[in-house]
Amino acid sequence: MLLYCTLLAASPELAAWLWLPTPWLTLVSQAVFAAGVFLYQRNRPDPLRGTDFTGLLRRLLIGPGVLASVCVGLHLLERFIQAEAPTNDRVFFAIIYTVNLALFIIFLASTNYTWRSLVLFRAPTHLRREWLWFELLLGVTLLFRLLNWAPTGLLAYPVMGGLALFGIYLSGNQKWVAYLNRRQKWEVVFLQAGLLLCMGVFVVYFLRIEHDPKLVVPAPQHAFLLLTVFFAAFYSLIGLLVTFFNLPTAGVFEQKREEILSLQRLTQLIQKGQTEQEIYNTLFDSAVQTVGADAAWLTLEAPIDDYSGQYFTIEPEQSAAIHSLLTDYNLGHIEYLNNDLDNSSGFRNLKLPFSSMIVMPLRSTKRRYGSLYMLKDQRHGFDRENLGILQTFTSQTVLSIENLQLLRASIENERVQEELKIASAVQDSLIPKTLPTDNWFEISSFALAAKEVGGDFYDFLHLPGRRLAILVGDVSGKGVTAAFHVAQMKGIFHALMQENPLARNDREKFPVPSRFMAQANTALIHCLERSSFITASLYIIDYEHGGFVFARAGHCHTLYYHSIKEEVSYFRTAGLGLGIIRNDSYEKHIKNQFYDYNPGDVMVVYTDGIVEARGAQKEEYGEERLQRVLERTYYLEAEEIKQHILNDLAEFSRGQPVHDDQTLLVIKFKAVQPDSHS
Amino acid sequence: MKITQQATDTTLTLILDGELDASSSVILDGELAKPDVLEYQKILIDCQRLNYISSAGLGVFISHLQRLQEANVKLIFFNMQEKVHNVFEILGLDALMTIVPTQAEAAAF
Repeated sequence: MLLYCTLLAASPELAAWLWLPTPWLTLVSQAVFAAGVFLYQRNRPDPLRGTDFTGLLRRLLIGPGVLASVCVGLHLLERFIQAEAPTNDRVFFAIIYTVNLALFIIFLASTNYTWRSLVLFRAPTHLRREWLWFELLLGVTLLFRLLNWAPTGLLAYPVMGGLALFGIYLSGNQKWVAYLNRRQKWEVVFLQAGLLLCMGVFVVYFLRIEHDPKLVVPAPQHAFLLLTVFFAAFYSLIGLLVTFFNLPTAGVFEQKREEILSLQRLTQLIQKGQTEQEIYNTLFDSAVQTVGADAAWLTLEAPIDDYSGQYFTIEPEQSAAIHSLLTDYNLGHIEYLNNDLDNSSGFRNLKLPFSSMIVMPLRSTKRRYGSLYMLKDQRHGFDRENLGILQTFTSQTVLSIENLQLLRASIENERVQEELKIASAVQDSLIPKTLPTDNWFEISSFALAAKEVGGDFYDFLHLPGRRLAILVGDVSGKGVTAAFHVAQMKGIFHALMQENPLARNDREKFPVPSRFMAQANTALIHCLERSSFITASLYIIDYEHGGFVFARAGHCHTLYYHSIKEEVSYFRTAGLGLGIIRNDSYEKHIKNQFYDYNPGDVMVVYTDGIVEARGAQKEEYGEERLQRVLERTYYLEAEEIKQHILNDLAEFSRGQPVHDDQTLLVIKFKAVQPDSHS
Repeated sequence: MKITQQATDTTLTLILDGELDASSSVILDGELAKPDVLEYQKILIDCQRLNYISSAGLGVFISHLQRLQEANVKLIFFNMQEKVHNVFEILGLDALMTIVPTQAEAAAF
């Protein structure tokens, strides 16, 4: 298309040579060529890459720069030939003119569409629409000459003037200049000047040959070219001026940019999960760079590993001297700006070259992390802006540090969860898995912890002479502390239930329950917290003689079915919990209860998690309801009785969370089996 | 849990309203741990509106019992609901602490 147009554009040469003037064809070819070049440029991808404005202008300058040189070269060549061999060859002259015109149109097209990239840089929709109109109107001016309708003097000025004003209006869109730094702004100033120079070359050329008598080719598309060159030059000029007058403020823009970038770096450190030292390093470097400090140092309240702060062109001794001076004035840990240090006699005595200082503490609402000190040689070296940006930096740093700590805490928490699982498994192993079996009784048990580890416990121990010790209890509180005391109680149980070799008779070989409780109380005094206590019941069943003895240390009452009376009731004995009285008087508060059982009797032992289980209306399960269940089920096997109790409890507390550990033991005494007595 | 205080020269009355569980026990412990508590002759605990007491709540009274006794300050509970009294009784605390039916009896103690 372009080649074709260029060929057609060269047609005046043919026309002139053949003495066949076809001005209309020339005009059409010119218009088609101009339209072709502009459309070609228009449809090229946006030459602007990101915000590389200098690159864009450089590429623009190099292209047309070459074109302008060719133009001047051709002109000089023509002059040279004229001087060497004076000739009136109009063909040669027309070729040069046409080629130069083509070059000029290419130059204008590429300039125009480079300006489009700049005008439409982050432009709103209405501006894009306005640009489209501008293009359309320029296209219409191409037709002026083609239709042989040149606006007459009266009409020409408003039409051309209106379009020129449109161009001026569009030239106001120089938003891109704000994105240049100082160096780029200087570069842009020179590039724009270069572009204006190139345009100048063309314009001067055309102005000079306009009245040359040798020019036989019709004048070009005046209106279109005039408007385009006007817009191209005006936009370039405005761009140059805007950039030039923006030069003094470039430093401020760059500083702001640097502040934002530093802040971004600090923010990114949070996500990267860096170490605290790296965060402090970034803070320090960013702060020194941004405020342009001549000296600075950072101290931490609590050193991390070996890192306790860092220094920039200041000796630790000097900083220590300044710090002690600040401490004397009580300024060590507050935000502080002093722009006239020489005014203070204390500072003058230190004989340091600094005259301005900022102290910026690193702190959150909870704790202090350290302080950042910035120094400058000259007086009034810092302003409110510096203080503000340092505040932002330090608060971002504190945020990063705390975030890092939270992250670590959550990892630690996970580890604790793992350990709790282990603790849970350990505690599970403390609960007897195999229940004692004998023909004289049945035992069925149930245990449920509300959390990973619980405060309820039960244990069995076979004693010589067909006796069985059963311990049930509950440590106040829940969780790991309670679990620890559970393990302790198990230890105490097994230690105290050893045969005493010094015993004078069988009865004294093993402690009676009340004695056991008193000894356990003494053992617990030194390790149980003041507000904690343990409730327990110890039963020693002698199934040789068909009786049992028990003591209740503040533990839940024992529910019992007396088969001989066909009656269910509680053994309501007195007894104080363990760890409440911490002296020898404890034994006065504990009693032994003896009972001879009969076959068919049922004993239900439990912890308060059973009777204090909550129903839908927050009411408690209670002793009475438990008693009612046993009244209905006493004749069943121990396992079945337990199941009935649990079912009733589950029905009662349906939908309610289990808020306390639950333990339940059902013991049923049976008649002796004839074949089992050995 | 709401704890209201009424103080005369010789008596401090704490009115407990609600459930004394693990979290409200901390508040009660804070009240009883104050040094000026030992300057009274009697600490009366009004349990009329005390609906529930957890082992943590009991632990608060247990932990201050000895300290109050040593300072010769009497700790007296009154207006106690049946189920709360039952908890004190099961643990054996009724033998250690003074629990009376009415405020008048508590004041006369």
